[in-house]
Amino acid sequence: MYFVSFVFENSYTRFINPYFKERTLNRTRALLKKAAWSLFTILFVIVLNFFLFRVLPGDPARAGIRDPRLKKEAVEMLRVRFGLDKPVINCFESLNPIKLGSCTVNPMETQFFIYARNLLQGEFGFSYHTNRPVGDVLAERLWNTVLLIGAGQILSIIIGVIFGVFAAWKARTTVDFAAVITSLIAWSLPTFWLGIILLFWGSNNGLPLAGKATPGASSLPLLQQWGDIALHMFLPTLTYTIVYMGEYTLIMRSSLMDVLSEDYILTAKAKGLSTFQILKDHALKNAMLPLVTVIAINLGFTVAGAIQIETVFSWPGLGLSIYEAVGRRDFPVLQGAFVLIAVAVIAANFLADLTYTYLDPRVETE
Amino acid sequence: MKPENLLEIRGLKKYFDAGRPTLFSRQNKYVHAVDGVSLTLRRSEVIALVGESGCGKSTLSLLLMGLEEPTAGNILFEGRDITHLKDHERKELRRKIQMVFQDPYESLNPTQTIEEIVNEPLQVHGIGHSKAERDERVKKAMEDAGLKPAEVYLHRFPHELSGGQRQRVVIAAALVLEPEILLADEPVSMLDVSIRAEIINLLAELRITRQIAVIFITHDLGSVGFFADRVAVMYLGRIVEIGTMLEVLEKTQHPYTKALISVIPVPNPRLRRERIILQGETPNPIDVPSGCRFHPRCPVALATCKESDPPFISQSKTHSTACLLLVK
Amino acid sequence: MESHFVQNQWKDRWLKFWAVFKKSRIGIVGLVMLAVIILLAVFAPLIAPYDSSSTESVTIDDIYNPPSATHWFGTDDAGQDVFSNFVFGARISLTVGFFAAFISVFIGGLLGLVAGFFGGRWENFLMRFTDIMLVIPDLPLMVVIVALTKPSLMNIIFVIGLLGWTTTARVVRSQTLAVKSRKFVLRARAVGAGNGHIISRHILPLVMPILVVQAVLVVSLAILNESALSFLGLGDPTALSWGQMLNYAFGRGAMSVGAWWALVVPGLGIVWVVLGLTLLGQGLEQVLNPRLETHHLMPHKPTVEDKAAGHGTGSLLEVRNLSIHYINEGKPPARAVENISFTLNKGELIGLVGESGCGKTTLMLALLRLLPSAGQIVGGKVFFNGADLTAMNDEALNKIRWKEISIVFQGAMNALNPVRTVGDQIAEAILKHEPSYPREKLGARVTELLDLVGIAADHKEHFPHQYSGGMRQRAMIAMALACNPQVIIADEPTTALDVMIQAQILELLDKLREKLGLAIIFVTHDLGVVAEICDRVLVMYGGVTAEYAEVDTIYNEAKHPYTQELLKAFPDLTKPKKKLASIPGYPPRLEDLPAGCRFAPRCPVAFDRCRSEQPSLHELGKSHFASCHLLEESK
Repeated sequence: MYFVSFVFENSYTRFINPYFKERTLNRTRALLKKAAWSLFTILFVIVLNFFLFRVLPGDPARAGIRDPRLKKEAVEMLRVRFGLDKPVINCFESLNPIKLGSCTVNPMETQFFIYARNLLQGEFGFSYHTNRPVGDVLAERLWNTVLLIGAGQILSIIIGVIFGVFAAWKARTTVDFAAVITSLIAWSLPTFWLGIILLFWGSNNGLPLAGKATPGASSLPLLQQWGDIALHMFLPTLTYTIVYMGEYTLIMRSSLMDVLSEDYILTAKAKGLSTFQILKDHALKNAMLPLVTVIAINLGFTVAGAIQIETVFSWPGLGLSIYEAVGRRDFPVLQGAFVLIAVAVIAANFLADLTYTYLDPRVETE
Repeated sequence: MKPENLLEIRGLKKYFDAGRPTLFSRQNKYVHAVDGVSLTLRRSEVIALVGESGCGKSTLSLLLMGLEEPTAGNILFEGRDITHLKDHERKELRRKIQMVFQDPYESLNPTQTIEEIVNEPLQVHGIGHSKAERDERVKKAMEDAGLKPAEVYLHRFPHELSGGQRQRVVIAAALVLEPEILLADEPVSMLDVSIRAEIINLLAELRITRQIAVIFITHDLGSVGFFADRVAVMYLGRIVEIGTMLEVLEKTQHPYTKALISVIPVPNPRLRRERIILQGETPNPIDVPSGCRFHPRCPVALATCKESDPPFISQSKTHSTACLLLVK
Repeated sequence: MESHFVQNQWKDRWLKFWAVFKKSRIGIVGLVMLAVIILLAVFAPLIAPYDSSSTESVTIDDIYNPPSATHWFGTDDAGQDVFSNFVFGARISLTVGFFAAFISVFIGGLLGLVAGFFGGRWENFLMRFTDIMLVIPDLPLMVVIVALTKPSLMNIIFVIGLLGWTTTARVVRSQTLAVKSRKFVLRARAVGAGNGHIISRHILPLVMPILVVQAVLVVSLAILNESALSFLGLGDPTALSWGQMLNYAFGRGAMSVGAWWALVVPGLGIVWVVLGLTLLGQGLEQVLNPRLETHHLMPHKPTVEDKAAGHGTGSLLEVRNLSIHYINEGKPPARAVENISFTLNKGELIGLVGESGCGKTTLMLALLRLLPSAGQIVGGKVFFNGADLTAMNDEALNKIRWKEISIVFQGAMNALNPVRTVGDQIAEAILKHEPSYPREKLGARVTELLDLVGIAADHKEHFPHQYSGGMRQRAMIAMALACNPQVIIADEPTTALDVMIQAQILELLDKLREKLGLAIIFVTHDLGVVAEICDRVLVMYGGVTAEYAEVDTIYNEAKHPYTQELLKAFPDLTKPKKKLASIPGYPPRLEDLPAGCRFAPRCPVAFDRCRSEQPSLHELGKSHFASCHLLEESK
């Protein structure tokens, strides 16, 4: 695949470059900074998550505490059960500056610290609904979401790049116009609605309607199992691909058009290179760089798509967990899923940043 | 009694931060953009500031306009020290010194009409008690800048005008405040050759009709030959030679000036003369060479040039050069 | 009086804007689509056949009825008319979309402006914060917040609004930064304007267009978000938005019953609005931020003129009556170059002199057929060693390009590919024309070429941005020599460079000409440079030859008025006190060429015939040509 080979090519030349060492030093420094920033963002998410669930009024545990019908002992039990008897953060309850100095509360015993510690150990609490550890529930579902998003993203990037390149190359022709209009329409489709329409069409054409696998498929040989999963994945992935390929097409098109109007393309043409050679050796690399940035920024938004698709197709991923948790008011699951998704996106963002830094030689110093 | 020197610059320096101590170097690095410039300007006088990129001429103009704070040195206007002024004092001063920039295409806001552009300085300074008065001033400034009749241009937008006309608008906007000094930073280098003289002639005229002193920054000595009184040649943040036009052109002292003059192309194929072409490029102003800053490229450098920084030596009342070769 | 005048100005600007916007088909379609749906929503009570919350006798039979005469779009899970719900639902979806977007755009615009304009710590803090919010996935966060609070319409508007400002902030910030660094802002500061004045008079007017386009985008995103939230069950149960309709339909068995109308119709509404907004946004972008939709690889339109190859004379390069037009749709062709002829022999250096718009770059590009897609050779021939370049196809031409004739562009930052090393790009030229060149010798050859132009070998592995301006120009020359061409076209190679560097480059070119026997075409506007190095000179004006002669003749016996005036306008350091003359007026615009002699409007000695009839090229002996009516007699 072109993308893979072009990354490879760049890395090869890097090793024979005598300035490799100096640039690597600069880049490593830049990357460490970015890694530190990603970690900080994750921390922010953790704190945000904590405060959202404590501050906003919807938590049933706390709602339960205020319920006048409950007996006092029951309320106490609830409080202890959910750790609500401990101070939120160090002397948070009494924000009296004089008192803060003489705070006798052990910081380890605050709600916040317990929450953060649990989170880092992978402990997300217990589901209100099933009483199972949230971590277990989510762990299974995480990979399903990654599978779905992964497949969808890869396909939409490939299609987006191909359509975008053709649209830019044949700019102002019918091909270009068709590609642009198709992309605009694809982008305007609400993800869940497209899913519904495709589901409708699929149900009339024998495709599976829900879930990841047919019940009882686990007893089939491995290859057939995978085939079964693929069949179930077909419609959700198709939905995902259609929605996001539109955006990537448009971006690739405008990026390539910018590149193709640069002076060095004229120089390449003057050298006698054929159109194909120019596209391959000069234009595509430069045009892909902005795309990488956009893909990175987009990751957060593509999760929104995943939630909708999983809901429509009952695909057992984190998105479906969120949907079910909302319906059942199962807040520990909701909280856990949110954190997990956010962390995954931040990590993916960091990887995209990494890729960009290695691809663009102009990124030397901060 | 008004002091004779309209503008006086003493030992002006401007260093920009170039980076913190890193793994490779221990001390702070600075870009020595302007590194000790002294100059005087009299009323209605025209000084040409000549130099190549990296010599600090643009930074100097920003310093004189008060758009940058000097690191060291003084600027005096009519005897009064204006080096470090508070905002409102600085604003008052801006009426006296105005600037004309190099790029006529970028100097004008594309969404403003010509009238709005020329009117803007008046509004900023609250000049004029009525719209009619402001209109008068605008009209006068435009016509002095050669945009006659003014009405034709008032409601046009910059993109409807040619390069030369745009530059006239910039000059009109400068004139409307009735300044005493005009700082022209390469005002014609982006214009077609056939139009350059127009603008230069305009500035020459303004110098007479409005008694404006002009500091003309350029890299092309020939273009200001006829109307500059004095020339100052800059290299790497300093003035290396200063004198009247004829002195600098005909009795050139500094090796850099000699080289510069020898390579400026002359439109006469019968005069293909010996050119002194310096090797390499102007060094990075972060790493200024020791001693005389020109010594690495100087074709006649001595051993001592590496060690000592030459002082200014006067060849005449108006002509001085900073070169060790003259210390004899 | 003043306000009336100002009002007129605003009216003028609107009219101008509308005139341009009208031309954008995409924008108009979008606007119409939006108008339709907005009208539908506004006049909902009049249009909808049924009241939205009618509880008139609904029986089980009424549920999920297919479209019929009484119910155009059928009925939904509660037996209500889908069409009526659709029309009223438009109100909800649009209201939420617009109000939420308003909040987002306001916050984003403010943050971006403050961050971009004030910079420093503000910028750091605000942008870091924006980056964090950008990374955190928005829909899950919205879901969490709405789930924890009550799902009312106000709530949803606020949540979507308060989370949707991130891209706007980034876009506004980068635009503010861009405007802030423009020269007219510096000029305003030099005049004495304060921050407030600069922001209101200079920054805002130039940031507004971007903000408007962004706002349209944000509205569409807000509508999509609201519908997603409603679909997930977090919508306001009392407000039947389109998303909510879909939530009910999907959750209450529309699919199993086959009630496609309940699923398709509300969704189509969303698609209609979002598509309309997107198209409108694209249209606005085309107007407010116009980008040239052409690039260097676009094919040329087929020419109709005679493609029969001609025969050249013995010169190395011969240009014979070459004419080039730029063809733009709906406008008369711009006659960029007309009837230019010149010859070039081995070892000769010809200077092509002219001002901006005279067509010299067009002429140069045409020699190697590198014109943009709108450019066409409409007459004349170019012969290289007797072969007709204008009649060749691309394949044959590619063998001549660079190998025999190479070109040195102005060494601007982007004449070399910024993401490839310089050595790599030079090697590419070699390999293209000698594919079997031994790889081991390639590095040495590149080093040799760089050495020829005075660049140290280790710079081979550097990228163009690591080179200084002078070095880049020399690298371009080295690359141009890579295949040992016979002709080099140098297009304003020293224009942006310092005079000392220029001298270095000129010396280099002269040296190379001697050493390698090159023929050089040197394009410039600098008469001094031409006098220094050229053998012959072609003076161009308005696309035609003004004068063509040996260099000494041009400077000392010029006959064309333009040449004479140009020489008077050019400074001469040996005569410093000479007052410079200028030529009144300005060079002609190609779309608006005068009827007769192109120089007549500015010529000091023009007479009647000059304004109506174009002069032909007269030969004045000793290979001296000039096109002026005054010279007809002196033949």
